[in-house]
Amino acid sequence: MTGAIAGLLSKIGERGYFMRDIGRGLRDPRTYGGETIRQMRNIGVDSLPLAAIVAAFIGAVTAFQTRYQLFGGVQLSVVGLISRQSIILELGPLLTGLVLTGRVGARITAEIGTMRVTEQIDALETLAYDPVAYLVVPRLLAALIMVPILTIMANAIGVGTAYFTAVVATDVTSAAFSEGLRLAFAPFQIVYSIIKATIFGGAIAFFCSYEGYTTTAGAEGVGRSTAQAVVITSVAILVLDALTALLLAPYLQA
Amino acid sequence: MKKRDDVLVGLVMLVAIIVAITGSLWLARGGLSKGYALYAKFPWSSGLKQGQPVLLAGVNVGYVDEVKLRQDGTVLTTFRVGKEYQVPQGTVATVVANGIFGDMAIALTPVRPNPRSIPENDTVPVGPSAPGLAQITGKADSIATSVNAITTAFQKDLVAAGGIDEMRRAIASTNRLVNQFSVIAAEQNRQLTATFASFRKATSGIDSAKIDSTLVNVREASANMASISEELKATSLKLDAIVAKVDSGNGTASKLLNDAGVYDDVRKLLAQLDTVLVDFKNNPRRYINLKVF
Repeated sequence: MTGAIAGLLSKIGERGYFMRDIGRGLRDPRTYGGETIRQMRNIGVDSLPLAAIVAAFIGAVTAFQTRYQLFGGVQLSVVGLISRQSIILELGPLLTGLVLTGRVGARITAEIGTMRVTEQIDALETLAYDPVAYLVVPRLLAALIMVPILTIMANAIGVGTAYFTAVVATDVTSAAFSEGLRLAFAPFQIVYSIIKATIFGGAIAFFCSYEGYTTTAGAEGVGRSTAQAVVITSVAILVLDALTALLLAPYLQA
Repeated sequence: MKKRDDVLVGLVMLVAIIVAITGSLWLARGGLSKGYALYAKFPWSSGLKQGQPVLLAGVNVGYVDEVKLRQDGTVLTTFRVGKEYQVPQGTVATVVANGIFGDMAIALTPVRPNPRSIPENDTVPVGPSAPGLAQITGKADSIATSVNAITTAFQKDLVAAGGIDEMRRAIASTNRLVNQFSVIAAEQNRQLTATFASFRKATSGIDSAKIDSTLVNVREASANMASISEELKATSLKLDAIVAKVDSGNGTASKLLNDAGVYDDVRKLLAQLDTVLVDFKNNPRRYINLKVF
């Protein structure tokens, strides 16, 4: 029992050290500056089609299902309201985060893990390069910036397809949907979505980089680290989602 | 390669920021145009918030821009109305509930049509607000007091002064009256029923089949009568002809009837027959000569 607690604490502690290394790496912009742009392209721009497709389907399904969950007599503008709230507050950031965990997180772990097992990281250290500043910090910054950007796009696309689906495939009129879309809107809802996305982006880059950075035991170890990174990051995103909601949802009631 | 990354990343970020800002603006106030500002000073804002709609005669014409609680305890509300909309003078502003989700809106209600409109940056007068819970409770309280007074008066007049007993007696006599009425009604009903029953019996006694056959017989009889009268007519015509013929003096019959000589001859013949008969009675032997052997 005490062994298990000690093991858990040591795992948290190791990640704490890793976080400290990242903080130290941030003081060295020349090392990560150029690489950050490349990672932003990798993580952000190249993930745009995937995030867009996911958001499009989520938006369409949300609007469609919402329409057919309503019992008789409910104003159809509710479809717009519920679609907007579901997509912007929850589905946009969460699903973008989870999808990027698979596309970006696994890639980060595999890249850094392979560098670790092929001793390229050791080589960087030998050349007096800070490997965390060169490998982890650009990915973390890119994820912190680009996941919110992708989430904004996903929100817009999701709401757009929700509108399209509601108007084309159901009896909700354009005016009713727009009315619901604008009902009880506060700009903080967008900020809330961006806050969530930033947290998820940070979680993806941090947990996946850590798993890659601490990979051992060759090619098999890379595979194991990658799988573990995806699982840990997915769970972490869900937990962080719940925590964000607990902390910030009261402020949504503007 | 690196240059292209910069451009792409910058483009995506720029697009996302534009989407976020214009999307928020569109959701919050229905577009980029700000419209013109109007003010209203509410005594109670009912939780009105920035971004909530402004309805002119029920049509969405703008949004709430700012809600500010002033030192004097009133709520100064700035709202923006689209440039294409004019708020007629004499319009009053109220804070109303909008939809079922507890949203509020500013309702601008024109009292009557007016071609002149409220200019920009003017203050719209505030109309009577919808009653709050406290006001309703107050009203309910005063109603309860009145009800209490009425109950006391009732108590005094009806219970203490024996009014209820009188009412009870009146009700009892009314009951009796009603009972009598119902007895009479029952009797009437019984007699009516009997009358109807006998009437029904009488009507059912007349056999329509018999009437039918009688009618047929009558029709046949009249047809026979018609034929008989035809025959009679023919017969009388013939008789007429005979009579005419007799009258005209032609033929035996007419001569027999019209000739006076024949009459005389017959008289003479009868007189002779008389004498012959007298003679016969007196002297039968002259005429009947019976010889047996």
